Amino acid sequence: MANDNSNNRKAILVTPELCIGCRACQVACKSWNQLPGIKTKNTGSYQNPPDLASAAYNIIRYNEVPSQENPVRWLFVSRRCMHCDDAGCMKICPSGALYRTAEGAVAFDRDKCIGCKLCVNACPFDVPRYDADGKVTKCHLCFDRIAAGMNPACVKTCPTGALKFGDREELIGAAKKEGFATIYGEQDLGGLGSVYAFKEEPKLYGMIENPAIPSSVNFWHTYLKPLSVIGLGGVVAAAAIHYLAIGPHKDNNEEV
Amino acid sequence: MAEMVRKSSVGEIVNHWILAGSCILLIITGFAFLFHLDSVGAVFGGYEAMKTVHNWVGVIFGLSLLVSTIHYLKDALEYDADDAQWFKVAGGYLSHKVKVPPMGKYNPGQKLYYLAILVGGIAIFLSGLGIWLMKDNSTIMLLSHLVHNVAFCIFVIAVPVHIYLGTLANPGTFQIMINGLMPLSDAKKKHPKWMKAVGKM
Repeated sequence: MANDNSNNRKAILVTPELCIGCRACQVACKSWNQLPGIKTKNTGSYQNPPDLASAAYNIIRYNEVPSQENPVRWLFVSRRCMHCDDAGCMKICPSGALYRTAEGAVAFDRDKCIGCKLCVNACPFDVPRYDADGKVTKCHLCFDRIAAGMNPACVKTCPTGALKFGDREELIGAAKKEGFATIYGEQDLGGLGSVYAFKEEPKLYGMIENPAIPSSVNFWHTYLKPLSVIGLGGVVAAAAIHYLAIGPHKDNNEEV
Repeated sequence: MAEMVRKSSVGEIVNHWILAGSCILLIITGFAFLFHLDSVGAVFGGYEAMKTVHNWVGVIFGLSLLVSTIHYLKDALEYDADDAQWFKVAGGYLSHKVKVPPMGKYNPGQKLYYLAILVGGIAIFLSGLGIWLMKDNSTIMLLSHLVHNVAFCIFVIAVPVHIYLGTLANPGTFQIMINGLMPLSDAKKKHPKWMKAVGKM
């Protein structure tokens, strides 16, 4: 789906090499969105909580990538909703609870959510979570803050510039000028709203390669949805034409 | 008044109305989910309530479909040479000049329609349960979502045809859905093999 507002589409640019893993972004997100703390267990990693949760819209992934010359190496990668331009969650949502804001963010309307969890299964990045009431939650790019000209809470608090917010094209252009080898999310799924400046292969940073909406969802959206309307309209039109051109059965004919 | 013959039992009539009513309600709410028809959702008090209605009416539809097998399945599985000839003349629907072969209680179009509804109905019922109850199994959820929508297309194409053929296209037919009766003279003309089988001809 082409974004109507591609000219002023906003994005978050994540630069792992600048991240110090302080998790201020996680705290600021909880603070702004009034999310409770989560009880977790030590799993042998400093990453905490272990993954996104209904009370954790963003986390820092502590990717451990030891090598011969650098036996202790962490790649801190901030993870949140990718705000895809072609968003599987929005496509499949049957109630319109997931929607796009003027800035290009994929936000959610909790009151419209019917708790079907289709979005969970259509998301290429395993992002949407359900809260205790069975309603969808996820990062919404602080749509309330950015609409008022402010930065998202996580970006506002980031002390190193590992998270930057702004005009999507400008952010990508600046990152390219700085010489980053890969801009993850520049083209995927129509272009992501969370883009990453990587020096090495995305796989090293724990990112999936070639993210895609499940093919059955795309097939349904592209063919089955139109077919249902064309099919219904087609047979109604065919019946009307049959009635006028050939007409109802006369005597001596059997019924159906 | 002309002598009447009973084509449908009271049980058949009641179950067919339950099947038809639930099916149409499911199609309307299904379209509302498919295309975010807020105004339809509002009729039910929002999408969440509409989901509850859609799910439980689906259960009624499934049970009604099960009952319908008692009424129609045996007939729907039996075909003879006249049925093959019926297809050759397209049941007489494309021209009033062709000679339609003698029919039993149901013509092969009706019989195949029933089988399509039965197979499509089982598919849409089971996949509906999958979407409803297997939310945490991604494979089942996505497969169910696909099957549910394929079967939906079958229904929205087949059901309007069935309604047209049972009303406007064949005047007098709709009455059978009300009282189950048709005039004996009509039955002899339209269903000679059935009339012979029950000893009225």
